[in-house]
Amino acid sequence: MHAPHTYQPTDSAGKLAKGFLRNPLTPILGIFLLVIGYMALMLMPREENPQMVVSGSTVIIALPGATANEVQNVIVKPLERKLKEVKGIEHIHSMAMDNVAVINAAFFIGEAKEDSNLKIYDKIMQNMSILPKGAMQPIIKPLDIDVDIPIVSVAFYSNNPKMDPTVLYDHVKKMQHHINGLPNVAVTDIKGAKKHQYNVMVDINRLSGYNLSLGQIVMATQSLAYNVPEIKGKSQDNQIVMIGVRNAIESVEDVGNIIVAQYGGSAIYLRDVATITAGSDIQNFKSALVTLKDESGKFSPLKDQITLTVSKLQGTNSVIIADAVKKELEKYKEQMKAEGINYVITRNDGERADEAVNELVFHLILSIVIIAILLIFVLGWRESLIVTFTVPAILAITLFIAYITGQTINRITLFAFLLSLGLLVDAAIIVIENIHRHFHAPGAADRDADELMIEATDEIGAPTNIATLAIILTMVPMAFVGQMMGQFMKPIPANVPVALVASLFVAYIFTPYLAVRLLKKPDHNSEAH
Amino acid sequence: MYQKFENYLNTLLSSPAKKKRVLWGTLAAFIFSVALIPTEFVLAKMLPGKNNDTYSVYIDLANGSSIEQTRQVSECVVSILQQEEEALDAEVFLGTGSPLDFAGLIKGSHFKNNENVAEIVVNLTKKHDRSEPSYMMVQRLRPLIQKECGNLYAQTNIKFVEPPAGPPTMAAIVAEVYGNNSDGIRHLSNRVQTVFQKTEGLVDIDIMQDEIYDKFEVQVNTDKITRAALDVKHVNDILYLAFEGMGIAVKNSQSANDQIPIFLTLTPESKKFASRDKLAIEMKLSSLKLLNQMGMMVPITEVVTIVAVKSNPMIMSKNLHQMTNVVAETDMVSQVYPLMDARNVILDTFSDEYEIHKIGLFNLELIDKKTKERYELLWDGEMEVTLDTFVDLGGAFIAALILIFLLMVIYYKSFVISGIVLLGSFLSIIGVIVGHGIVDLFTADTFFLTATSLIGFIALIGISSRNSLLLIDFTKSLMLDKGMHKKEAIAYATATRAKPIFLTAAAIILASTLLASDAVFGGLGVSLIFGTIAAVISSLIVVPVLIHNSDLERHFNFEERKAVSIMEP
Repeated sequence: MHAPHTYQPTDSAGKLAKGFLRNPLTPILGIFLLVIGYMALMLMPREENPQMVVSGSTVIIALPGATANEVQNVIVKPLERKLKEVKGIEHIHSMAMDNVAVINAAFFIGEAKEDSNLKIYDKIMQNMSILPKGAMQPIIKPLDIDVDIPIVSVAFYSNNPKMDPTVLYDHVKKMQHHINGLPNVAVTDIKGAKKHQYNVMVDINRLSGYNLSLGQIVMATQSLAYNVPEIKGKSQDNQIVMIGVRNAIESVEDVGNIIVAQYGGSAIYLRDVATITAGSDIQNFKSALVTLKDESGKFSPLKDQITLTVSKLQGTNSVIIADAVKKELEKYKEQMKAEGINYVITRNDGERADEAVNELVFHLILSIVIIAILLIFVLGWRESLIVTFTVPAILAITLFIAYITGQTINRITLFAFLLSLGLLVDAAIIVIENIHRHFHAPGAADRDADELMIEATDEIGAPTNIATLAIILTMVPMAFVGQMMGQFMKPIPANVPVALVASLFVAYIFTPYLAVRLLKKPDHNSEAH
Repeated sequence: MYQKFENYLNTLLSSPAKKKRVLWGTLAAFIFSVALIPTEFVLAKMLPGKNNDTYSVYIDLANGSSIEQTRQVSECVVSILQQEEEALDAEVFLGTGSPLDFAGLIKGSHFKNNENVAEIVVNLTKKHDRSEPSYMMVQRLRPLIQKECGNLYAQTNIKFVEPPAGPPTMAAIVAEVYGNNSDGIRHLSNRVQTVFQKTEGLVDIDIMQDEIYDKFEVQVNTDKITRAALDVKHVNDILYLAFEGMGIAVKNSQSANDQIPIFLTLTPESKKFASRDKLAIEMKLSSLKLLNQMGMMVPITEVVTIVAVKSNPMIMSKNLHQMTNVVAETDMVSQVYPLMDARNVILDTFSDEYEIHKIGLFNLELIDKKTKERYELLWDGEMEVTLDTFVDLGGAFIAALILIFLLMVIYYKSFVISGIVLLGSFLSIIGVIVGHGIVDLFTADTFFLTATSLIGFIALIGISSRNSLLLIDFTKSLMLDKGMHKKEAIAYATATRAKPIFLTAAAIILASTLLASDAVFGGLGVSLIFGTIAAVISSLIVVPVLIHNSDLERHFNFEERKAVSIMEP
């Protein structure tokens, strides 16, 4: 019943095996696959969780003096109706408060970000005429996950409680500029800032004592605080003469010296009715505090801090950016310390992503080793070695394809690999097991090893192809799961089928290639089946 | 060993009574495992909690509270956090949100800009060096902090926000109360809140609405203002300038990073009212004077009257309908069961005021018995996402079954054999559910059947159909090429294929053990491990019985050949 001298493969499995079995390029192909896979692993942007496309915009319109009910009727309701005309919006949330309306349009998950932003902007601009009189220009804030969510946050604080908060702010502002200059950094933002401000605090009793009004103080100050450009004139022999008008207010003392009123020849200065300080923005109620554990394990009391947040551009590697930020901070660490400023990194998503990815890569390797050990016991070490080699080759192909399709490497991608690990050794195990069976079958000793390989591979080709196709088919519908969960799980249907197809090719090409070189036909005279 | 197995199968297949027993046993196991879900022995949840290195505390005081009061509550929370061994640092953001994260984006943390809010970010030691998972720590600290700090001021709400394992939602449970009457919505949502507070397993309960508080309104007397030669804008400006302050000019600066504003306001002492009543306000305002067009000073109280009023609460609407959210988090339990409990309580107790009708799966329609006003109570949040996800994954699962069935029909050109392959693979559900039950018994906290468990189950269909397929294919070739009897062919094929089936199953189980230890993908791991075991048993025992019961010769499209035993080749 054996085929005549040369076995003619009927299935693509046997054809692949035959084509590559004695091909000198096969090992080169193997090495090439491993190299591109490794490169992809190193180059792919790393993230903790997969990127989700969430689009939406928030529209804020102020209508000073209107109550919540009025705002609801004249701004919110008409605009909501207009926004209903936009395709792709899932929910419209709105809040009508005294003086202001906030309308938030959330698009279906997966709607393209730029298109969605444009649609909202367009719709609002087209309908400016329906806004009531007295309404301010609408503020439209698009939601941008990549830019809005910082990957690194750093809290700067001073150990000296007497340090002026504005001095700290100046330092952080300088640092912000350095960090913003790093490659792929998108937005840097400051939270808890105390900005410079000259505060004129009027004593109400002294004001009434001099019989003055606040309005007079405003007018007097505004008349002096005026900045003008330099004046350019020409002399008779056509040389340029520049005249600069010196600003009347150069320092905080100048503010105090403003004359607000005159009574019978004696001037009343601003400093007579008000305390004037060069301080920080007192009207800003927002502030940030920090407490941290020192070496002795005790927490410091709450101190003022300023947090600098850094976000990255879409599709860039958070690990590299976070490292760059860290290095940049190190450069200035000593200098800042000399000035009494310390910092602590309070969020590092790059490090988090790197840890998560490395941990899972370790798990992946561990799983491969465990499977290899299992196979040594059941099939023998040569067979085990062959199967174990196929795994990195399959993962390499999958990684490379994920890389060129613009995916990132994240927890879910690696879980997809872990999930597919059990499946993708199957093809190789089935092939090697069949080769093993054929090698040990009676009559194998008389036949050519190459031919046996091709036959063994070819034999199980059709059912293995169909079975793998069946597993791929189970994964395909998962790609159509909607909502955020679908986006979140997307790496599974995107990568598992690729890995399975790769596993077939690798099993048909490399398993017979390695088997013919590593396996030895047993001596059948001594071994009974 | 394989020889023994082959003999066992041979005896099994020759005895119709035994075959029947196998099939009835399988059916019983199937019914038993499916019954574990409605009996709440195995609990379902979208995604379990995740051990994080950080979490946030959101503090909300009643509307109209001052930043100083907010700071006091925040300091109280921080003082408790400071006693934690595993905490590294904590950042407090007063009056604003913390640096945005994914959870904050959905919960609206970036819109916070009020004196009555604060957020605290706590960083912990690395999860590998810490014995207590972050969610256990939150569970332990929550009652402590809420008791110590939540009672400093009335209506203070302290919430714990952990980075979610998967996609974030606004809250675990969101009850949307819709209606056309603001007061009616407020009344109904307060009742829902009371129900939530009494429901076991629900924490961090909050109504997303402004509290109504007393405020004072300055009413301008138009008659007097015209006679005094003043205007309303002037009055407004002066009041604003005095108590809020305004930048009245700017100064460019060489050294500073921004222009320096010159900011004018009253001194803090001058600003403070003696008390929170009308008289104190009038006293204070009388010392504020306005300069009129004739150059005369007019006290502001001359042209205005002060009236005590109630604040206007914010009006929220969703998709053009006015509504209020009542939100709650779950304390380490799935949101499904507390939600059902709360819903039952609402159904039982709200009938005193409302006529209640059920709409859809869980939603309710309430009609006020007196006014006949109509309200709706819809569930959103994690519940909605869970339902959507499970429905979608269920759809994906059915689609996968249909695709595999079609593939098998194309390959075998027989509905019966395709059906057997499908049935065999469906049986892995026994392993999936029972496996979750077993793991739940051995873990300290509840082990949920999650969305990832379902993904594992979907993958299992493919895996077990591969087993059945290899088996049937080999049987076919044995009968076709070697002309074996049906029974012997099945027994021999099963015994021979048992080795690769065991091997691939072992590979899957070993690869999944590391998955099973992960918080989020534990469900996937457990599904794969126990599902594979069930799949192996099903492909090696149930599927052979089923194919033996079917008319294989007809399905393989050939006439049975003369029987030749394999024992005598």
